[in-house]
This record gives sequence, structure tokens and C-alpha cells, in this order.
Amino acid sequence: MKQHLITTVNGQHIERDVDPSMRLVDFLRDELLLTGTKIGCKQGECGACTIIMNGTAVLSCILPVMKAMNAEILTIEGLDEDGKLNPIQEEFIKGGAIQCGFCTPGLIMGTKALLDKNPSPTREEVREDLSGHICRCTGYKKIEDSVMKAAERLREESHD
Amino acid sequence: MNYVIAESTAEVIEVLKKANGLACIVAGGTDLVLDIDTGKKSAGTLVDIMRIPELKKIELVDGFLEIGSAATLTEIHSHPLVKQYFPSLAKGCRTVGSRLIQNVATLAGNVITAQPAADAGMSLSVLDPQFVLVDEGGTRICGVDGMYAGFGVSEVDSCKTLLTKIRIRIPNEHEAASFQRLELRKSLSLPMLNVAAMGSISGGHFDWVRLRMAPVGKGPVRAVQAEEWLAGQPVTPETFSHAGELALADAKPRSNPLRGSKEYRELTLPVMVERALLDIAIQLNALEG
Ligand code: FES
Ligand code: FES
Repeated sequence: MKQHLITTVNGQHIERDVDPSMRLVDFLRDELLLTGTKIGCKQGECGACTIIMNGTAVLSCILPVMKAMNAEILTIEGLDEDGKLNPIQEEFIKGGAIQCGFCTPGLIMGTKALLDKNPSPTREEVREDLSGHICRCTGYKKIEDSVMKAAERLREESHD
Repeated sequence: MNYVIAESTAEVIEVLKKANGLACIVAGGTDLVLDIDTGKKSAGTLVDIMRIPELKKIELVDGFLEIGSAATLTEIHSHPLVKQYFPSLAKGCRTVGSRLIQNVATLAGNVITAQPAADAGMSLSVLDPQFVLVDEGGTRICGVDGMYAGFGVSEVDSCKTLLTKIRIRIPNEHEAASFQRLELRKSLSLPMLNVAAMGSISGGHFDWVRLRMAPVGKGPVRAVQAEEWLAGQPVTPETFSHAGELALADAKPRSNPLRGSKEYRELTLPVMVERALLDIAIQLNALEG
């Protein structure tokens, strides 16, 4: 039996009848066609499906869709401002933190959630916080560097 | 399937009662969702408890820290009271899965899923926690040994009973606790072994020690012989190492492709026990020299 879901995704009010046994990632990708959020393992182990829900980074592949009820959801599609990329996205591009790009949307969302809460993380904190994101390509060093750069830039921009 | 987002404890009990075994509580859901998918578990109705305000609380009440069953592992390990009074619990909660898992999973869930060597539940087990359980018949309090029925099986039937909160007494200045873990790498890996200990030291001697280890049997297994021997012993490296040997008497590790061989874990368990006792001694400034 379908249930009525009311939620906000990337600032947009959404109401849909959904099958409650569906996972949130499938709702985002198949129903809302927001395919920026990726599916790697679908078991909560790789971080590819990371989104931000009520300010916290979560794995959308292991969340029942109804957990999104009355929640504020942000996916990679909601990060740019009028077509201008978010500084985290820009720093990932500049720093070569992206190769095949499959882990990238998840990592960017994880990074955003981290920097929103902790604008000046240490390298150790970055590693601990992002340890649930698996990247098969970059070797993590460039990701870590890009996160530190993005943090620096966001701090500077917030002072302007 | 039907999904209910409960707003109160009373509502949870009501829905469970009406469904008569066909409804089940879900907290973080990180294990349950996968178990439903693989057919290991099934439920006609899931009752989500994560938005019940009273279950989200972490607070000091009459000398006890009370942790609501809907508090996430991240909320727990980053909480100032937990960091101040229970650093070993914070460490245990910080080791479960990844931060992304900790952001939704709960300590209560880590105990109820009863997985062998679940880090958060293990670090909690030596703090003498009281589990407050509510069902149709009322409220009761249960200790650690009443919670685990077997590998991955809890004594608490989440189709009938709600764990509302976990209470732990604030330690006095003679007491400290430790959580030690043996793993293949520092993140995203199951523990090969974990050991938790809490002890009280005065006048250079252990007054008492609580020692548990996993996965070497059902739930967090007590090292009874080592505990009994430790009371009254001087706080010395020799004591730590003898206690480590004694702990083996109560441990039955099995060979497991994910966690390592029986032989390897029998050799390393005493070292983990030594480390836990040493850590307690260091925290209490009780080591000579
Ligand atoms: S797809 Fe969600 S963690 Fe891998
Ligand atoms: S860039 Fe390919 S998986 Fe990370």
C-alpha cells in the first residue's frame, strides 16, 4: 500500500505517494530523476549515495524513503547557485580530486556537511569524517587536499 | 509494508500491541533495512522511533547519564557529557562503521541487533548499564546479561518491547574505563577482537575490575576468572599480563574468515586485556615510575 510522503528536496516542496519499502536513493533517482546521487554498494559501505538530510550527511541507500518525511534534503543537484558551482565542487575539480567521478557527489555532500558544522577541520578530522567514502581512483590525498582548500576558501568568503 | 513515524512512547506500544507481532521497531535502520531485503527479517509495519523527543535526550539525572534510544552514535560520541565522563564509550561509538553510519545508527540499536563484537555495545557493557524497557505490561530495568540471547539475537523482542533509554552511573575519581580494539586497518573494518574494562584503583591496588571481551561467545563475554583475581592486586605490568592470560579461560574464539583464526586471536586477546588495564592505570595516574 502506498503512503503519502511530504518532503523538501533542494528547496522544492514535494508530495508523492510512495511504496514505503522503497529506499530513499531509489526515490531520488527513479522518481525525482535526480541521478547525481550514485549507487555503489547499496549496503551502506561505500558512501556513493551520500546526501544531506536536515544538515547531516546520511547514506540514502539504507534509509527507508519515509525517513524523508517533513525533512529537508539536499543532493548534489542543489549545490550550485544559479549555475555557479559551489566552492567545494570547484576545489575538487582544481585539485584533481575527481577521476571517474563516481564517488564524487557523495564526497562533495559529505564535505559540505562537515564544513557546515566545522569550518576549520584538522586533516585528522577530515579523514575521520570522510572515512566512509570509498574512492577507487584518486588515492584520497588529493581529496583531502581539496577539502582543506575548500575549507580555507569558504572561511575567506565568509569574511568578505 | 506500512511505515509509522511514532511521536510518543505510548504510540509505539499501542501500534506494537495492535499489530500483534507483525510490527517491529526501527531506529537507525542501518541493519534492519538490509535484513529485510535479504529476507532475514520481515515486518508488516515498521515503527520509527527516531522522532520521539523524549528518546532523543542525553542528560544527567541523579548521578546517572541517561542516553535516549533514539540518540545517534554521532550525537553520543560528540556530546560533552559523554566525552567528559565516558571517553571509552565515545571511542566505541566512534568506531562503528563509518561516520555516515554513526549519523543515523543508535547505541540502543547496536545493543539490540546483538551482533558479535558490536563496538558501541561492547564499550558500554562494562559501565554497568541499566536498560530501561517498556512494553504493554509496564517498565522494567535490565542489565547487560539480560540483553543478549545469542549471535545476532537479542533477548528483547522489538516487535513487543521498546528500549527507551540506557542509564549509566557517573564514575567517581577512583574509576576509569577503557575500550580496545584489534582491527585490520583503522577505518571501515570489523573488529577481530575487542575488549572493554572498567576498574577502580586506590592505594596502588585494583579494588575491582569489570572485564568483557568479544567476539568470543554470546554478546560481551565476562572474563570472570580475571575479574575475580584482579580485585586487590597491585597495579603493575605483571598484574596486567597475568590478567590477560586468565582472560583466556573464559574466551572461546572461533576461526572466522573475516575476523582471523582462533589461534591468532588466542595469542592477541591477552595483549588487548593488558592494554585496557594499562589504559585505566594511566587515566587514574596509578602507574609507578
Ligand atoms: S550505495 Fe550507499 S553506501 Fe554504497
Ligand atoms: S574518482 Fe573514481 S571512485 Fe573516486
